[in-house]
Amino acid sequence: MVPIQIVLISAVVFLAFYMYLRLRSGLVDAILIFLACGVAVFFIISPDTTTSLAQKLGVKRGINLVFYFITLFFFFLILKLYSRLRRLENKFTEMVRQNSLEKAEKLDKAEKSE
Amino acid sequence: MNAEPASIFVIVPCYNEAAVIRHTIEKLLQKRYSVVVVDDASADHTRDALAGLPVYYLRHESNLGQGAAIRTGIELALEKGAAYVVSFDADGQHHEDDIEKMIGSLESNDADIVFGSRFLTGAETNAPFLRRMILKTARFINYLASGILLSDANNGLRAMTRNAASKMKITENRSSHNAQIQNLVHRHGLKYIEYPVNISYSEYSRGKGVRNISSIRILYDLILFKIFR
Repeated sequence: MVPIQIVLISAVVFLAFYMYLRLRSGLVDAILIFLACGVAVFFIISPDTTTSLAQKLGVKRGINLVFYFITLFFFFLILKLYSRLRRLENKFTEMVRQNSLEKAEKLDKAEKSE
Repeated sequence: MNAEPASIFVIVPCYNEAAVIRHTIEKLLQKRYSVVVVDDASADHTRDALAGLPVYYLRHESNLGQGAAIRTGIELALEKGAAYVVSFDADGQHHEDDIEKMIGSLESNDADIVFGSRFLTGAETNAPFLRRMILKTARFINYLASGILLSDANNGLRAMTRNAASKMKITENRSSHNAQIQNLVHRHGLKYIEYPVNISYSEYSRGKGVRNISSIRILYDLILFKIFR
């Protein structure tokens, strides 16, 4: 095993545990996290597997295949985050709105202009 | 127009319009309409500029956008028993005389909502050429997003019945709220008409209003609205 493989495997395992503990995930999420971790570790230990898998799918190099999947994954992640952001924005808007409705005032004719 | 002017609630969303808002509101009050000013977290002295004017004043503690301000105004108007709700720009582009005519056309056509249009016969506008071209293109893009084709898709002057206003659950806070309002009309099967209105582009409103370059932002918001609604 070359040094970079040790670094990458350590990082992947650390991230998997961190996500599991941080997200306090349920059983299904935990299985998915550790499954993804297992796949990542397997491809780090045996990088040639990605190349043979890539060639079966019509892509020349394994790294290209990984790059395509990562691009798709990040696109999905952005959509998901944006969707969550919109939900939060809607909640925030509703709070600001209710606050302004509670404090609504009818201005008085007698009030002096500055 | 048969409606009692006080039962017509004119929503005026504003953001940093202290320089002109008093003039705009005074003209509406002369017509005896009920006026709801929704201050979208202005940093100027909008509240002070309104002193002595009998209007409902609401303030968002954080700047949310025109769509959010209109919805806040609609909620207050409904709570106060409005028979009709009108949205009206604070910067003096719209003419208060058009409101009476629009409500009259709602009554005579038995419609739910009337959209003001700068491009119908009878409407006078001094919109610059580039702005006219952008607005004409925007109507087709709006049609794709909303499902209804208007001659002037981005006109902020519109009047609606209480029933239509109660269905205007606007969630698009920013520029795509126009398309969402049209989409809500389409989804709820509301009867809509258009009415020619006059818009005046002053130096002030040109500086304050939607800039031509903002069309790109509106397009971006529309795409997101279409994806995430």
